[in-house]
Amino acid sequence: MEQEPHIVQNGSAAAGAPDMAAQRKATYARLFRRFVWLTILCSLVPLLLVGWGINLHYTRFARERMLNFFETQVEYHRKIIEMFLNEHSSKLQLIAQTHTRDEIIEPKALQTAFEVFNKDLWSLTDLGVIGEHGYHLAYAGPYDLWSRNYAKEFWFAQVMQKGLYISDMFMGFRKEPHFIIAVTQSNGDQKWILRATINTEAFRSLVENVRIGKTGQAYLLNAEGVFQTSPRLGGAIMEKSTYPVESYHEGIQIRSLEGLKGADGKERPRQIACQAWLKNPRWLLVVKQDYGEAFGDVNYANAWTLVFLHVSALSILIVSVLITRHMITIVKRRDTEADRLNDQLMQAGKLASIGELSAGVAHEINNPLAIILTERQLLLDAARQLPMSGPEFKAQFDDSLSQVDIQIQRCKRITQNLLRFSRRTESLIETVDLNAFLREVVDLMDREARSSGIKFFTELDPALPPLLSDPSQMQQVFLNLITNAIDAHAGKPYGSVRLTTRADDERRQAKVHVADTGSGISPAHLNRIFDPFFTTKGVGKGTGLGLSIVYSIVKRLGGTISVQSEPGTGTEFTIALPYTPPKELRESLAEGHART
Amino acid sequence: MPGSRVLLVDDEVVFTRNMSKLLTYRGYKAIAVNSGDAAIRELEQADFDVIVLDLKMPGMDGITTLKEIMKLGLFTETLILTGHGSIDTALEAMKLGAYDYLTKPCEIDELVAKIEAAWEKKEGQG
Repeated sequence: MEQEPHIVQNGSAAAGAPDMAAQRKATYARLFRRFVWLTILCSLVPLLLVGWGINLHYTRFARERMLNFFETQVEYHRKIIEMFLNEHSSKLQLIAQTHTRDEIIEPKALQTAFEVFNKDLWSLTDLGVIGEHGYHLAYAGPYDLWSRNYAKEFWFAQVMQKGLYISDMFMGFRKEPHFIIAVTQSNGDQKWILRATINTEAFRSLVENVRIGKTGQAYLLNAEGVFQTSPRLGGAIMEKSTYPVESYHEGIQIRSLEGLKGADGKERPRQIACQAWLKNPRWLLVVKQDYGEAFGDVNYANAWTLVFLHVSALSILIVSVLITRHMITIVKRRDTEADRLNDQLMQAGKLASIGELSAGVAHEINNPLAIILTERQLLLDAARQLPMSGPEFKAQFDDSLSQVDIQIQRCKRITQNLLRFSRRTESLIETVDLNAFLREVVDLMDREARSSGIKFFTELDPALPPLLSDPSQMQQVFLNLITNAIDAHAGKPYGSVRLTTRADDERRQAKVHVADTGSGISPAHLNRIFDPFFTTKGVGKGTGLGLSIVYSIVKRLGGTISVQSEPGTGTEFTIALPYTPPKELRESLAEGHART
Repeated sequence: MPGSRVLLVDDEVVFTRNMSKLLTYRGYKAIAVNSGDAAIRELEQADFDVIVLDLKMPGMDGITTLKEIMKLGLFTETLILTGHGSIDTALEAMKLGAYDYLTKPCEIDELVAKIEAAWEKKEGQG
């Protein structure tokens, strides 16, 4: 929307403006930084807190779930192993207790017992009855062990002493890893041993088949840390493990292992291990997995949380910068608008003060002018009635009086302009056909324009409705503008003045553009062209009131005026006049109409 | 019309003196006074056809003087003369009963024309 006086400069800024602009620029930069930091702080802190809280909660939950899973695995397999061993121990004890030595050494009886043992699951490799001297009394199984004497074997003494003994894995006479469960029974003076060799493959499958991810495994260690089953990764049965075996403890223990070396001598990554001791034999059941895999979900979630936070932070940063930039643009626009309004206010105030001053000056000049005029008239009257001293004196007298009259008229014009500027002139509102009106003005000025080599061009909007305005004041406006446009071509052999009208029904106003191809107005002068007494014309050629009066009249008629100028190219004034005059003007003129 | 009695009221002594002479040369009976009070006193003592009254005067200003004149109920017409060019004040004066107004500086012929018109109006009313 056009405001008044709206001055568009195509040149440099006004003096003093660079300091102001630099100051403003620094303020905007400071404002920008503060806004961005504040926005980021207000957005990121809650995001980070929420993200951190959720992540912490999830990590704890996932960790507990994983550890529970490990504990469940260990507990489950321990029970299975213990159940297996207890069941076999109990069966052996039952057979020993329900048979005499003579009964059990019957080949058929031992074979039957062996077959009953392996009825559902091939869990025994062989079953034998061994006498006090260490030789087999009976044997059911695939090996030829009749000639073997076990009296000096480590397990023989143990079982004879304890009555029930479950051995660690050992190679024995058969030269392959196996372990035995043996019970003793006495019939009178005769003490004998019922010994079962557990099917190693069947037993190992109870433990080794545990599959937990890619790195998870389960195995049994004896108290010395020797593998009782083969680990799935690294190591073999009956080899010494690198696993740090500690003393017996009840229940299940979770351990974090770092710096352990595998069978290949390479350092293993951090591992999580869950262990539990079997009561008999004292074997340690270990279930372990690489930490990275065990908590892969947590790490994955953490990584994604980190990515999410980074993306969110980046988005917030971008959005905050964009929003702040947009806000600063709005602030800049508002500041520019405020500056413009301030300028208008200052201009209006300046013009009002000058208007008052002008009215006073006009009055004070008019009175002596009136006296001079009467003195001149008296001289003229006297000259008519009294004799002149000679023709030369008469000629000089007439010439001087004529010059006095010219200068009085000149002063009168100045004072009238001053009064017109200060609005102390009469207005009359009539219906005006603006297009026809402008054509008349052009006709009026055409002769003067042609003599200066200037052509008029008109582009008048036929849809323009008639205005209610003051034609005499409008004439003053356009005559002043066109006169200035013609004068602007001084020094140019030819040029043009273009008058354009446009109807703006939306705002209910008519727009008139008066554009010339003259010398233009320098940016330094552009701010001052509406100031009274400001002129770039030579002494005696301009009073400097023309554009002030134009501005004053346009404003009084409820319109606006703006100017654009390019030095060396030309100047364009744009005047917007309302279809109907403002209410205050109509009211102030009501009395004038009544008189008319 | 020549012979008419004209009262000139203006605080500018030289102006009223000169204008008085010019009107006298043209056959009018012009009397000059330089304040509103003096004008009222003069009007109480003598009849005038037309009064030429300045608006801006020290002491009793033109509008007050006009109101006092109207109170006297004289058979006369008043012309307002102002160097200020204030339309609002001039209109106010006309609302109070003044016949017309002129702005300073004005030619003697212009003033004479207005005086004639005022006189004709007065005579027409009579």
